[in-house]
Amino acid sequence: MDSKKSYSLPGGFINSDSSLPWLLPLITMLVVFAIIPFFYNIYLSFHEFVPAKRALLFVGWDNWIRLFTDEVFWGSLKVSLYYTFMCLAIQLVLGMGIALLIDSDDPGFGIIRSILTLTLVIPPAIAGMIFLIMEDANYGLITWGLKSMGLIGQEDTILADPTLALWGVMLVDIWQWTPFMVLILVAGLRSLPSEPFESAMIDGARPFQVFRRLTLPMLHKVIAVAVLIRGIDLWRMVDYVFVLTSGGPGTSTYTLSLYAWQRFTFVQWGYGATISLFSLIVILIVGNAFIHFAKVKW
Amino acid sequence: MLRKIFAYVVGVIFFFPIYFLITSSFKNNIDIFALPPKLFFFDIDFSIYEKVFFFSDIFEDNFFSSRIIDSLIIGIGSASLTLIIAIYSGYCLSRISFSYRKFFILGILSARMMPLMAITIPIYFLYAKLNLIDTYTGIILVHTFINLPLAVLLLKSFFDEIPKQIDENAFIDGASRLKIIHKIIIPSAKNGLAVTFILSFIFSWTEFICALMIGQMNIKTVPVQASILKTIPSWDYMAAFTTISIIPVFIMILLVKNHFVRGLTLGSIKE
Repeated sequence: MDSKKSYSLPGGFINSDSSLPWLLPLITMLVVFAIIPFFYNIYLSFHEFVPAKRALLFVGWDNWIRLFTDEVFWGSLKVSLYYTFMCLAIQLVLGMGIALLIDSDDPGFGIIRSILTLTLVIPPAIAGMIFLIMEDANYGLITWGLKSMGLIGQEDTILADPTLALWGVMLVDIWQWTPFMVLILVAGLRSLPSEPFESAMIDGARPFQVFRRLTLPMLHKVIAVAVLIRGIDLWRMVDYVFVLTSGGPGTSTYTLSLYAWQRFTFVQWGYGATISLFSLIVILIVGNAFIHFAKVKW
Repeated sequence: MLRKIFAYVVGVIFFFPIYFLITSSFKNNIDIFALPPKLFFFDIDFSIYEKVFFFSDIFEDNFFSSRIIDSLIIGIGSASLTLIIAIYSGYCLSRISFSYRKFFILGILSARMMPLMAITIPIYFLYAKLNLIDTYTGIILVHTFINLPLAVLLLKSFFDEIPKQIDENAFIDGASRLKIIHKIIIPSAKNGLAVTFILSFIFSWTEFICALMIGQMNIKTVPVQASILKTIPSWDYMAAFTTISIIPVFIMILLVKNHFVRGLTLGSIKE
């Protein structure tokens, strides 16, 4: 690497050892679609569209004051947090269980891995549609199943019930994305060396001890990456609520992104931008802190 | 043996919603909504496919093909653009060391973290000025941006596997960097390029909120169209439409399933 300078090559820009020309298209895309929107969001958060004057007017801190005194905003923040953490926990635990179950050299398990791959490439909006029908109040398979098992009352519904609706949405996420955890964890399990496990077996360690003392610590990098990527996508999820409940009943399933979208469609552009800027700043700080403290490397 | 049975039960549970969707597309309307559900014994009725493919009494006649073509143009367009940009920047991140490289990679990851809503609202205004609303170019560019972090980091991980010795030798023989990329790097990372292209295509195919916001009247991708169908009592129609649109994606993903985890984790976990 250090001898690079000694190569005397013709042609400057395109042969250069400088990184800039190679990164220029990427940097352009990042500037246009990430940095400009970021600053434009800041600009919008200090302006609001005034229908009477048909113009964006400067409103100072009004949007931010409104944000922190808006109960719907706090509600949607709570929904986003609850949704992210609950789904993450359930998908991680369930995913680990299934990963341990199908981590085997037996070719019979390969088909299960293929099936799990399929759920991940269904467009989330379409996955939402499938569950919309299955959770339908009158004809839904899941509603019918829960009723026949006596878990909900005969008159109850899933998606029209303020307490159950969010779980109805989370169910889709858990169905579609638990396989994400499974596939990553299986890849991690498959790459572990076998010697430590063999010697633990000889020492007579119980399976649970082996899992806690050996498997989990050795998988920590894999788990960190899976949690990071899943966490990001859970935080910005909007497709499922959009299709399944549109935020309802009432405002009980508003996530931050959906609330921002809804304000945007009501021509409260400044306020919508303020909400999405808030959710952007939160994820940038938490995400980068996570990368730093969990020592995730690329 | 018990373990295998459990594993298959898990497989069946996860496959069930897909099975439900596909079978709905050739059940008649009464059987779709029968309770208890008719899972296996129902009259097979393909008539809805005729409507989807040829004409329909609900929609204008070119409805089906135009939605799929919209999605195909956007998917292929954005996956190609993503791949072209990612080859050069992935090569640079893999081979050329520069200061702040770590921060640059963190920047790429931060771009992956952005809630799409925070991008689309400003981009909507930008596009309104540039007349890019409701155009293929507009959606292709946004999808390219969305897929770039994955593509760049994934390709970087594939390029990292090609021994540096090879390009150093080519360097000594007087090859330019551009030549090295075209003659050495691209041919030796064919798998990586294929995986990157297919994953970018799939994530563009499945993306919903940007396509919804930027496509307005003329352009509707498959997920956007599906979400509109929910307001019309036409589940059979929607089932047939989405079945046709997800089967090609299933085939594509099974072709690259050995590299899928690597793609999902942006190249950081190899199988």
